Amino acid sequence: MMEAATNASIRKPDFSLRTRLLVAMLSIVAVVWLLSAFASYAQARRELGELLDAHLATSAALLVAQASEELEEIELEHLPDLGDAHQRLALQVWNDGHLGVHSANAPNAPLAPFRHGFADVTADGTEWRVYSTRSREGDWVQVGEPVSARTDILREALARQAWPMLLALPLLGVGIWLVLGRGLSPLQRMAQAVGKRAPLDTTPIVADDAPREIRPLLDRLNALFARTGASIEREHRFIGDASHELRTPLAAIRAQAQVAQGARDDAERQRALAGVIAGCDRMTALTAQLLTLSRLEAGVLSSATANASMRDIVQDTLAEFAALAHRQQASITLEIADDLRVDSDPLLLQIVLRNLVGNALQYGGEGVRIQLSASRLGNVVSLSVCDDGPGIAPEDRTRALQRFDRLDAHVAGGAGLGLAIVERIADAIGAGLSLSDGIEARGLGVHLRIPDRRLSQP
Amino acid sequence: MRVLVVEDDPLLGEAICIGMRQRGFAADWVRDGIAAETALKTETFAAVILDLGLPRLSGMQLLRQRREAHDGTPVLILTARDAIRERVQGLDAGADDYVVKPVDLDELAARLRALVRRSGGDAQPLLEVGALRIDPAARHVDWHDAPVELSPREFDLLLEFARSPNRFLSKEQLAERLYGWNDEVESNALEVHIHHLRRKLDPSLIVTQRGVGYMLRTSET
Repeated sequence: MMEAATNASIRKPDFSLRTRLLVAMLSIVAVVWLLSAFASYAQARRELGELLDAHLATSAALLVAQASEELEEIELEHLPDLGDAHQRLALQVWNDGHLGVHSANAPNAPLAPFRHGFADVTADGTEWRVYSTRSREGDWVQVGEPVSARTDILREALARQAWPMLLALPLLGVGIWLVLGRGLSPLQRMAQAVGKRAPLDTTPIVADDAPREIRPLLDRLNALFARTGASIEREHRFIGDASHELRTPLAAIRAQAQVAQGARDDAERQRALAGVIAGCDRMTALTAQLLTLSRLEAGVLSSATANASMRDIVQDTLAEFAALAHRQQASITLEIADDLRVDSDPLLLQIVLRNLVGNALQYGGEGVRIQLSASRLGNVVSLSVCDDGPGIAPEDRTRALQRFDRLDAHVAGGAGLGLAIVERIADAIGAGLSLSDGIEARGLGVHLRIPDRRLSQP
Repeated sequence: MRVLVVEDDPLLGEAICIGMRQRGFAADWVRDGIAAETALKTETFAAVILDLGLPRLSGMQLLRQRREAHDGTPVLILTARDAIRERVQGLDAGADDYVVKPVDLDELAARLRALVRRSGGDAQPLLEVGALRIDPAARHVDWHDAPVELSPREFDLLLEFARSPNRFLSKEQLAERLYGWNDEVESNALEVHIHHLRRKLDPSLIVTQRGVGYMLRTSET
């Protein structure tokens, strides 16, 4: 229950980049338009106010001029033509407190107190803008205009401006939608290209028309494909090599068994059967090595312990070889300080030693000498395993580190995975690996430089 | 018939050698490319069983070298490499057959016989020379349509004669084709076998020419 709820809350709602961008852009456009509309409304209102005020003042001045001559017959037609606003002007001429000439729409009371200049007043429920002035004879002339007339003009202008805006918005939306679709089409093409790929296809996606914004994603994807490709390739090679390596001992077991079937005498049969058993032992060892390698690849082999005693690690490993070393009369010497500690994975180091000592015994044959030495220099522990066996020619040493390369197979029936495993582990623990001559310019020396764990891990 | 086994794996090489000996071949075994090259340069083999992954000199390089040196010895590649590309490469490099491990020893022997037969320009599995009819696979001999009992050595010797009838073969040539390196050959062993063959078949069948060698003569000549 809890989990389901958590999952649901974590899941982000499905959204379209196109829709999101469209909504954002239209919102921005609308907000900007609204702001600019308000700004121009405010400005128009102020300018219109100034203009109409001037007109009011002019009308009043004309009235005053006319009033002094023939007050009885004032004619509105003589006032400057002011369009619609003209009709709404209300005029009053006050003669000693009596309403004289006035326009029909003017109230009977004074529009405004008799004070020179502009005034905003409310009369009969109507808001007026009034200009009052006085003639030389002492008559008050008041010219008023309903405020609503002014706002009507403004509203009309605003509406004229707003309608095309409202019509333009959907058009703009369609335009943006199309442009976005076009702009995002490389993404869609890329998605299709990725979607159509076979699971193990690791060829890079080629999209020369990809815009700069998508390039990083594309580059990372292609880099990922390249890495995956390399690891698949490695896996293929490994499977191929492994099957090769398994075929030969299988062929040997089969052939030895067939020889035993057709043996001409008992000695031949016994020898062939011994060959069958030896072949099975070899398959067992090879299988174990393959398992080790594949576990190393998967990264499952590791131990939590760190900072182990090098001497303990070495002696634990050597104990496994005691019987074999005794049989071969091998001499094994250690040069390791008692207190030498190594800050690396002891389990992996044991596998390394097991393979190196095993190789030395196997290829060195009777009476082989093996020297194990380890020492610390700063943050690095050097570990060397040297023998005086057949060794590996300098030109073959690189090849020897490759998997399955058995350089001198006829010495003993060993699988050539030992050094490959060592190399893989060296890689895993960040150690340097090198091959040299062994003891007294003979044999093989294998050297590991093992850094402290905290240094080897990024 | 003497074959050279070139195989670096000790268990497999040993088994093939003994297995081929059980099936009537003389088999010699070398474990690397250089040793195989030396053996092929200095001695004659009816066929070679060649592994590809060899130390010192790869099977492929060896094969190309021998073919460039106009060594026509039939070569059967026996390898763990099973990719089509590798089979094609092997055959194109001059191999006469390509077999992937593991292999049945009887099949291997039969393939070797077929290779040797074809290298003699003979498609017939049965070898007929005059009144002699030899079945190398069954190791069976008829003389005037009647079966003849021969020891393995006698059979091998007769087979060598029958492969090049009416031609003198020196004692050394015969010994080389018949015996592997590890076979202990007594100095007069060949004479003894030839004596037995004459007795079991016909005294005049094998002609001796002092200082030259022996020849199987067909009745027509």
